[in-house]
Amino acid sequence: MANEIILETESLSKHWGGIKALNDISLQFQDKQLHGVVGPNGAGKSTLLNMLCGTLKPTSGCIFHKGDQIEGMKPWKFVRRGIGRSFQKTNIYAEVTCLENCAVAAQRRFTGSFNLFASRHANTLVREAAEKALHQVGLADRINTMAAEISYGEQRQLELAMVLATDPCILLLDEPMAGMGHEESQRIIELLNQLKQTYSIVLVEHDMDAIFELSDQLTVLDNGTHLITGTVDEVRNDLRVKEAYLGKEDEEEAA
Amino acid sequence: MIFEKRTERLFLAIFFIIALCIPLFLEANSFFVGKITTILILSVFVMSLDFLVGRVGLVTLGHALFYGLGGYLFVILTPEYEAVNFWIYALYVMGLSALVALIVGVVVLRTSGIYFIMITLAISQMAYYFFFDSLEFGGGDGLFIFMKPDTSIFGLSFLNLDNPTHFYYLSLLAVLITLVAIKIILRSRFGRIVEASRLNPERTEALGYNIFAFRLISYIIGSTLAAYAGLLFALQYGYVNPQFMTWEMSGTALVMSILGGMGTIYGAILGTITYEALLYLFEHMSEDWMLFMGGAIILMVLLLRKGLAGYLEKLLEK
Amino acid sequence: MSTELFFVQLINGLQYGLLLFLIASGLTLVFGVMGILNLAHGSMYMVGAYLVWYFVAVTGSFTVAAILSAIIALGLGILIERVLIQRLYHRNHLDQVLLTIGMIFVFNSLQSILWGNDPYGVAVPEALSGAVPFTDNSSYPIYRIFAALICIGIAAALYFVVSKTRLGMLIRAGESNREMVEALGVNIKSLYTIVFAIGVMLAAISGIIAAPMRSIVPGMGESVLITCFVVVVIGGMGSIKGAFVGALLVGVISTFAAVLMPTMSNMVIYLFMILVLLVKPQGLFAK
Repeated sequence: MANEIILETESLSKHWGGIKALNDISLQFQDKQLHGVVGPNGAGKSTLLNMLCGTLKPTSGCIFHKGDQIEGMKPWKFVRRGIGRSFQKTNIYAEVTCLENCAVAAQRRFTGSFNLFASRHANTLVREAAEKALHQVGLADRINTMAAEISYGEQRQLELAMVLATDPCILLLDEPMAGMGHEESQRIIELLNQLKQTYSIVLVEHDMDAIFELSDQLTVLDNGTHLITGTVDEVRNDLRVKEAYLGKEDEEEAA
Repeated sequence: MIFEKRTERLFLAIFFIIALCIPLFLEANSFFVGKITTILILSVFVMSLDFLVGRVGLVTLGHALFYGLGGYLFVILTPEYEAVNFWIYALYVMGLSALVALIVGVVVLRTSGIYFIMITLAISQMAYYFFFDSLEFGGGDGLFIFMKPDTSIFGLSFLNLDNPTHFYYLSLLAVLITLVAIKIILRSRFGRIVEASRLNPERTEALGYNIFAFRLISYIIGSTLAAYAGLLFALQYGYVNPQFMTWEMSGTALVMSILGGMGTIYGAILGTITYEALLYLFEHMSEDWMLFMGGAIILMVLLLRKGLAGYLEKLLEK
Repeated sequence: MSTELFFVQLINGLQYGLLLFLIASGLTLVFGVMGILNLAHGSMYMVGAYLVWYFVAVTGSFTVAAILSAIIALGLGILIERVLIQRLYHRNHLDQVLLTIGMIFVFNSLQSILWGNDPYGVAVPEALSGAVPFTDNSSYPIYRIFAALICIGIAAALYFVVSKTRLGMLIRAGESNREMVEALGVNIKSLYTIVFAIGVMLAAISGIIAAPMRSIVPGMGESVLITCFVVVVIGGMGSIKGAFVGALLVGVISTFAAVLMPTMSNMVIYLFMILVLLVKPQGLFAK
């Protein structure tokens, strides 16, 4: 029983001069599923995410969202379509409160942002949406704290809250658990388990336990090429994957 | 609550109270009234720059282009000897300036950072040469205003622009309106995104906002305010010339803004007053005032990072 | 326009462009390696010109004056970098703009105090005066040819240093990755001092060379600076190759504009810059 295919790439490639960051990637992402993307360092995972959210233009190939071709469009058009993205390197507004961070994210949904007169604090819908997102990730007690003053793990949660505040249909998450301790990671894993019932999630992570626990589908990239996509079990037992990961270990042992 | 900081409210209260009373004590001495009027007009210009540089994040070295444009447009649009209505022509001038700002903005906002600084400087230089080399617009001597416009609204006239005191209050009104307008805009929904674009442009774009549009609108607003200030200045002294548009003018305004405290808006008023006071001091001390001014600027960048407003706020905000 | 006139103006334009390149390369080098936009760069050009005028008046020899001026400019560059510029490294563009504007004020007033505001001139040195005939009716001034050759020589030396020496390698590395160069144990402080001093020297030397060709007046630094900006914006900030191409383009275009459209000539260069930016917002050879 497959869900609707909500995001799809066809022969997607990205070259930087002579370097092939991604080569001929064709993937399908289903709705209301969590699709993990893993691979050794330099495999091209971040490049893939950057293209799926429109920050990077592909050198060749296509991206389809619900059947429409979207590669090449400006990034804000991707967001309008409901494709939300969180960053690997924490990318929040440090100088304002957590609430304000999410309010910026949420404002676009409710009101015209070209209103020069109405106070930003006046719109309750925006405020409620921002608070809801913060509650969802567990930052309810940090609503009025400056983003620069919360802990690193909390900032990663804020990162997530900001994406949720935009009410997307697809979540592109770039290592949301990077640098987190075990307890914090657990919280995020629970959250993602909940979220995948409503959203389509593409998750890039290094935390293998989390990936295996959460992924309905798992894609492995290596050196810019697509090795395999399948269920967690299929991937774990695949020889090429073992080679790609273990092969790297052998290299390190020999050196 | 558009004035959030205690320092801000305190300064503005003191400033406006003193400013309202000054002409009552100095009536006989209209030289000082005129001098302070000029300071008021300059602070409108500097506030508009502070808005663009400090809050929108557009470091422009060509802001004086619009200051001069305001004066030139007024002289060009009005008949030579007929006293036109001030309010109507001010609207014309601001409308046309906004149009110019739109065209210039579309070109310059394609760049950012260093390039933006340089291209804004170059465009204002281009305008300077345009007017300097032109015969129709008075060349280096500029153009003169031979009439004082009338200020009636629906037939009710209460300001006579020939009277320095009346002109003073008109300028003070301009300061008030500019201050309040900028503060309202910054607090608005629009202002939220503008601030976000300055703090983290990448993130703001990733959230779906078209930063170019926000910057363009801000640029138009800031430039139009500068044009209004230029219009007032030209009216005060009765002439406009290319010197209004030089990079020195833009640079000086930038210095005033930083001196007062960049980004605070009320700091622009403080900075303008302080700079003009320092200038008066140095000019009377020695012929080589530029040396002291340059030294003061250097010291200020190195030591007084957040300007006078920053210093005051450190003292007064808890 | 006759072919003769065309060629004369073309060579004039190229020679002016070469001079512009000297100045612009200093600006773009400092920005590319150190990330500093030095608005007082034009002041260094002015300092070179005034110094050579002063020393010619004192010593009577252009050569001696030129060498003295160059040495003083070098010292000045090192002094400025150590005392002021060093403090700008971790600050934003705005602070750099302001500090260097302050420096412009200081230099302009020092110029006024030391040498006064009258226009001055430096005579073309005897050995290089006169002209080389190249057609029946026209000849080209020897000094201009000399100036162009010096510029080409310096450009070649610059190219050599940047591409073939260790210093050049550090410069190129520093341009792309400051932290890495630091991590490699290179003394970044010394590198920056050297680079800044080179930048100042380039501007001062072009002021020295230009002195016999134009009048030495207050404000000459700023007008050259802004033309420099146009060059660097067209060529791409941080690219010496871009500065070269940009400078030649600006030199030729503005020379022809002065002849063909004297009333609008000042504006033409800016229009050209706007055109380039509409097509390539980062300049022709952007990094």
